[in-house]
Amino acid sequence: MATVAYRNIVKSYGAVRVMEDLSLDIADGEFAVLLGPSGCGKTTLLRMTAGLETVTGGDLLIDGARMNEVHPRDRDIAMVFQNYALYPTMPVWENIGFSLEVRKLPKAEIRKKVEAAAAVLNLTDYLDRYPRELSGGQRQRVAMGRAMVREAKVFLFDEPLSNLDAKLRAQMRMEIRQLHDRLETTTIYVTHDQIEAMTMADKIVLMKGGRIEQVGTPDDLFDAPASLYAADFIGTPAINLIEGAVVDGAFKSAGIHLPLPPGTAATAGQRVTAGLRPSDMTLGAAGSITGRVVLAEKTGVEQNVHLDIGGADFVVTAPRDVSVRPDETVQADIPPQKIHLFDSASGARL
Amino acid sequence: MIVESASRRRVRTVLAVAVVALFVFPLYYWTTTAFKDAREIFNIPPNVWTFDPTLKNFEEVFGISLGFLRQQEVLPGGGNFYMAPRLWDSIVVALGSTALAIAISVLAAYALSRMDFRGRHAFVGWVLSTRMMPPVAVAIPMFFIYKDIGLMDSYLGIILMHTLINLPLGVLLLKSFFDDIPKEIDESALIDGASRFLVFRRVILPMAKGGIAATAVLCFIFSWTEFIFVLTLTQTGLKTVPVVSSSFVTSTGTAWGNMAALGVAAMVPAFLFILLVQKQLVRGLTLGSLKQ
Repeated sequence: MATVAYRNIVKSYGAVRVMEDLSLDIADGEFAVLLGPSGCGKTTLLRMTAGLETVTGGDLLIDGARMNEVHPRDRDIAMVFQNYALYPTMPVWENIGFSLEVRKLPKAEIRKKVEAAAAVLNLTDYLDRYPRELSGGQRQRVAMGRAMVREAKVFLFDEPLSNLDAKLRAQMRMEIRQLHDRLETTTIYVTHDQIEAMTMADKIVLMKGGRIEQVGTPDDLFDAPASLYAADFIGTPAINLIEGAVVDGAFKSAGIHLPLPPGTAATAGQRVTAGLRPSDMTLGAAGSITGRVVLAEKTGVEQNVHLDIGGADFVVTAPRDVSVRPDETVQADIPPQKIHLFDSASGARL
Repeated sequence: MIVESASRRRVRTVLAVAVVALFVFPLYYWTTTAFKDAREIFNIPPNVWTFDPTLKNFEEVFGISLGFLRQQEVLPGGGNFYMAPRLWDSIVVALGSTALAIAISVLAAYALSRMDFRGRHAFVGWVLSTRMMPPVAVAIPMFFIYKDIGLMDSYLGIILMHTLINLPLGVLLLKSFFDDIPKEIDESALIDGASRFLVFRRVILPMAKGGIAATAVLCFIFSWTEFIFVLTLTQTGLKTVPVVSSSFVTSTGTAWGNMAALGVAAMVPAFLFILLVQKQLVRGLTLGSLKQ
């Protein structure tokens, strides 16, 4: 177990600077998720932590010790790769025990540790099989087993679930989180899937273009997104964003008239964007938003009703027993404290 | 499976058999020639399917009679037809140069595939360019160099020469095999605590067995059939099969039967070598063509 700290990290590839002055602290035993779209620098940051990429500038500290020039094998970290990176010529037990074998542990002890890890991961019956004889989920577990037996200070996961189907992904999500709760090892997990981030993280680090956009708990990011980008990235279905202006102490846009959220810093005449989460809204006979029903998507638990408001698509999540018909005109409403207001130019939360 | 009409399949089968026959027939004819008496070889019409088989050619070439090795014989016409030691020379040279070429190129290829250093791409191009020189342009200078440094007419000399020629092929082929192995596997092993060499030896090398076998076969075949350097760089110490085959052309005629016998015998070690690495070879040749 260990803390991980990034101090003013800079990363360049030749003349191209991909990361600028990034600072972040990950506490001991924390499950931190680096979240962001492709190319935002999350995997680069993870690989720098592992020692697979050099750090161009700044300090990378694990448990307070500077790691910038330390070889990957001496950092006491374990990593699970996106494609699992299992050793195809070794059976499962050898895959799991390889790191212990390299450290020249006695054979009996290796066997004991491998068997213990296999028992936790339900791999006991597969120890003599080769990776090619395993399913995707089993391979994923072997990769985790490899990290587990190390008893490393920090676990790094690089999009480990992206090759699995939806059902297995949900199951593995739970298993990884449970494993973390049991081992309490500091974990850094990279993903572009916000559901994974929301369901697993103690702390989400939302990244964009090589810098950190927002750091917080899943609730922080959902309830108080720091920017338009954060608001748009988190939440399924995506937040409704409407451009408008502050007029007479209220938000006004074509067909929409909303009170300002309490404590907002928006000033009169300012161009702002309102963010309304579909799940925060209600459909009813009366409301501040009027729209025409385009489509109702049933998800099983509820339904996402798409409204046409002045040509823009607007989604409201409603209980599935609410009956709406296409082309019907309906009213939607939202409590003022649930409205997120952002400066349209800078994207900053107001 | 792709659906195909019966007639189309028949045409395809006939064509396939014809192509195979085209390639196999010369081999068959050469092999039967080795078992024919000199008079029968040039019969008109040729005895393709029926002839009186004889081991005479093999006995003369390998000095084997009644199961005993005979002393070297000089046959009428001055030809030295006793070729068993020459076959041995070929085996030593081919195995030696293949082993050396693989040992060097496997390390070089891994470094070129995995390590990032200045001028890496130029280096790959340079390795390839050494293969572009016509052998005959190198043979004469090498003759003088070998004479000066005392490698003339020695196993070591020929093994080194064949290794040098095989290196570019070996390095480039093996590099492409290593390139097909995901880098994450190396990285994973490094994080697991292995040194770069241990990663190579324990993890990557076993994965590249197929590629190594395929490369070894190509190196072996090159060395087995190489002519010009053995001709130039040897005198009496050793001679490989391709070079001594020319000694069957004597002042009194060409001993086709003996030449064929040596040719057939020369196929056996190469065939055995390929058979030995065949399992890996098939994997090697298809490596990377299918998603694992």
